[in-house]
Amino acid sequence: MMTAALPDCGEAVNNRATTLITARSGVIHSPWIGDIEWDSRSELLFPHGLPGFEDHRRMLPVEIPSQRPLVYLQSVECAEVCFLCLPVLAIDPCFQLELSEEEGAAIFLPENCAPEIGVDVLCLGLLIPSDTTVQANLSAPIVVNLHNGRGVQCVAHGKTVSRFRLGQDGRWEPAC
Amino acid sequence: MGTSVLVLRRKAGEAIAIGDGIEISVIEISPTRVKLGVIAPREISVLRKETIAVAMENRKAAELVSGNVKPGLQEIVRALGGLTPKMSSGPS
Repeated sequence: MMTAALPDCGEAVNNRATTLITARSGVIHSPWIGDIEWDSRSELLFPHGLPGFEDHRRMLPVEIPSQRPLVYLQSVECAEVCFLCLPVLAIDPCFQLELSEEEGAAIFLPENCAPEIGVDVLCLGLLIPSDTTVQANLSAPIVVNLHNGRGVQCVAHGKTVSRFRLGQDGRWEPAC
Repeated sequence: MGTSVLVLRRKAGEAIAIGDGIEISVIEISPTRVKLGVIAPREISVLRKETIAVAMENRKAAELVSGNVKPGLQEIVRALGGLTPKMSSGPS
């Protein structure tokens, strides 16, 4: 059985992952990745859901140690809904996070702050099937406030779309 | 044939109504942005236009794990250098 916890990407994350309590807990029987033990402390809250999945507000980040740094984002509301993600910096080490005022407010970031990835926020790129491989749209990263577990998917506001494609050699390359 | 566009001029605090149940009000105007308030029935989806493309991508992304598309999850995990995911019960 796997345990849901925020991915290991900084001290704040480690602290969070090691302070699990069992106030609200259970097991999700995911048909895709198996049984996931979870509790309320490991749950992420997306106040607006994700685009296309607006009713899925509670998500669990799940890591399978042998598959790191892959992160599964499992819906608490529906065992069938699960996404596969990678930390954005594993895809593009030069990634720069841009959050709108509203997106920052949705996850309770202080106004005008510049959140640091891995310290203040977890930043994931969703993997999307594309032909024979996968792409990641880094213009729409999933951003989680590590201090309160609130998350939002940022949507490009007229920015250049930043899309990466997994090459046959297992490396990420910019997609046209 | 092009779609005709109704152009209305509104100030902050003013609104427009669409049909019986939808009202869009101008809350605030700044040099670069307009803040709008939307009142609409619950069954009407109100989205930023750019969000629609992301919603479509998200639906495809969910299919990656459910195995309804190619490449399958196992192929992706292998391509990324990980092990084949266990489909029944994962490591404790």
